[in-house]
Amino acid sequence: MGSTSTKIKLRTSDQKVFEVEKAVAVHVIHVHSVSGDILSKILDYCKKHVNSAAGKEDISPEELYEWDANFVKVDQNTLFDLILAANCLKIESLLDLTCQTEIRTTFNIKNDYTIEAEEAVRRENKWAFDMLGV
Amino acid sequence: MEGLAMLRQLIGQLQDLLHLYGSPPPPLPPSSPFHLLHLHQLPHPFHDHHRRWCFPNINDTSAEDYYSLVMAAGKSGNCKMLEPFKPPPSKRSRKERNRGKLPGSTPASEVMDQEIWKEFPEDLFEAVIARLPIATFFRFRSVCRKWNSLLESQSFSHHCAEIPLANPWFYTITHENMNVGAMYDPSTKKWHHPTISFLPAKMIALPVASVGGLVCFLDIGHRNFYVCNPLTQSFKELPARSVKVWSRVAVGMTLNGNSTNEGYKILWVGCDGEYEVYESVKNSWSRPGSMPSNIKLPLSLNFRSQAISIDSTLYFMQSDPEGIVSYNMVSGVWKQFIIPAPIHLSDHTLAECEGRIMLVGLLTKNAATCVCIWELQKMTLLWKEVDRMPNIWCLEFYGKHVRMSCLGNKGLFMLSLRSRQMNRLVTYNVMSREWMKVPGCVLPRGRKRQWIACGTAFYPCLTATA
Repeated sequence: MGSTSTKIKLRTSDQKVFEVEKAVAVHVIHVHSVSGDILSKILDYCKKHVNSAAGKEDISPEELYEWDANFVKVDQNTLFDLILAANCLKIESLLDLTCQTEIRTTFNIKNDYTIEAEEAVRRENKWAFDMLGV
Repeated sequence: MEGLAMLRQLIGQLQDLLHLYGSPPPPLPPSSPFHLLHLHQLPHPFHDHHRRWCFPNINDTSAEDYYSLVMAAGKSGNCKMLEPFKPPPSKRSRKERNRGKLPGSTPASEVMDQEIWKEFPEDLFEAVIARLPIATFFRFRSVCRKWNSLLESQSFSHHCAEIPLANPWFYTITHENMNVGAMYDPSTKKWHHPTISFLPAKMIALPVASVGGLVCFLDIGHRNFYVCNPLTQSFKELPARSVKVWSRVAVGMTLNGNSTNEGYKILWVGCDGEYEVYESVKNSWSRPGSMPSNIKLPLSLNFRSQAISIDSTLYFMQSDPEGIVSYNMVSGVWKQFIIPAPIHLSDHTLAECEGRIMLVGLLTKNAATCVCIWELQKMTLLWKEVDRMPNIWCLEFYGKHVRMSCLGNKGLFMLSLRSRQMNRLVTYNVMSREWMKVPGCVLPRGRKRQWIACGTAFYPCLTATA
């Protein structure tokens, strides 16, 4: 049983069971507070990002950025649930993405960053909230 | 006008609630970066101590705008403006109340309605953001360019200056990596490792003093001073001193006014009585005079102790005679006080809390070692013990040779206790008299605990510039 094919089972608050590859689910997960719909969306997100980072999927940074932008085009309730779940599951990049979107949507703020500028700002300031830096 | 009456009622409700929650709110979970959202969730109101809401004067002509706003909200189905300010309904299950929200089952009133919040007054953004936890501020910088450039905004700087001082952070240097700092935030109990180092590679500079959010560093090799805001890396190398002093010096730092906007001063003093003062406004060193004859020379400065500053006066610990030497940055006056040290004392340092002069040190009697806190009785110039570390913690050091260094001596003290195989970090809060353990300092993606060599406390201020 190689590490790439190790699977993990996740059970959600509404008793749905998901099976995922270990690479996709890197942390110890408490999913009893996340519903099936939200977890399924989150797994999509994680798979997309892991595959693109590992080179399994041929996708440019701009295309990934656009995919992310579409990912968060959901109603406010769903967005809010995604934020809480990303926080609970400690998925930093998703938390950033959803929080920024929520703020911009709520206060009607235009994102005037280019992709590169936004990446640069995020990298520069990451030290302050890097959850892995205990 | 019915709408206006509703608005008045709402404002009245808000003001009542603000009075109700006059005491500091319960701490929000540290992993929740989202304090803005909590605006509409009670009983967790705004995470600040200084709720100054600019309520519009509804008697002036702008009332029309707010009237239409309320009506629009009313038309959209449920008037969400009123609902979020009610206390949560008691019929929510205890599990929900305790855990917060369950994703996937969000009641509609929890989401911030864009209809209302997109009208949020521009000038309030800065007031709100200034009161967010530091880590949250850095996260929000990627929302838009304006929020990123708040650090350069004068008005934002004013908002930051108005906030009462919270707990200090600690800037430390680790043994393993002496040219990169590790910062500790006691409110979230997290270590931070800023990736950008402002010093040239391989240069070792030790933090020696701090004031108003700025930390002063002294480099071991060249005797140069640097001043830096550890949060923003705003940094300045000070001009060379006019006096070449190759022996050890003690350093102190004071503000000219209430914030670094009005400038700061740095003093170094050597055992032979030589001293100089740096004035940030003029960006130059000067020698205001020489040590007066009533001060006994050489000064046996205790270099293991950090200096303290209370208003414009610096206090340094000296060993022979035991006591304190002080310098007033405004009047230029030196004073010397003879104060006998407690017996069996070692590794002691001066500290301060709200203008009170204190002493922290190790008391070793027979094989037992304990950390003790004293306060200076100004009338008698004697140290009086006011607290000591809980016995159960001291037991760990029983029979062992322990050294202690102080990593922060302002209001919340941080101490490093080392024996041959052990390094314990603790904090002591003078006001609450609480002793707390500090989690080990581990680099991001690392596992090994770092050994902390030295450090200083600093009050985090986003807008302090060197």
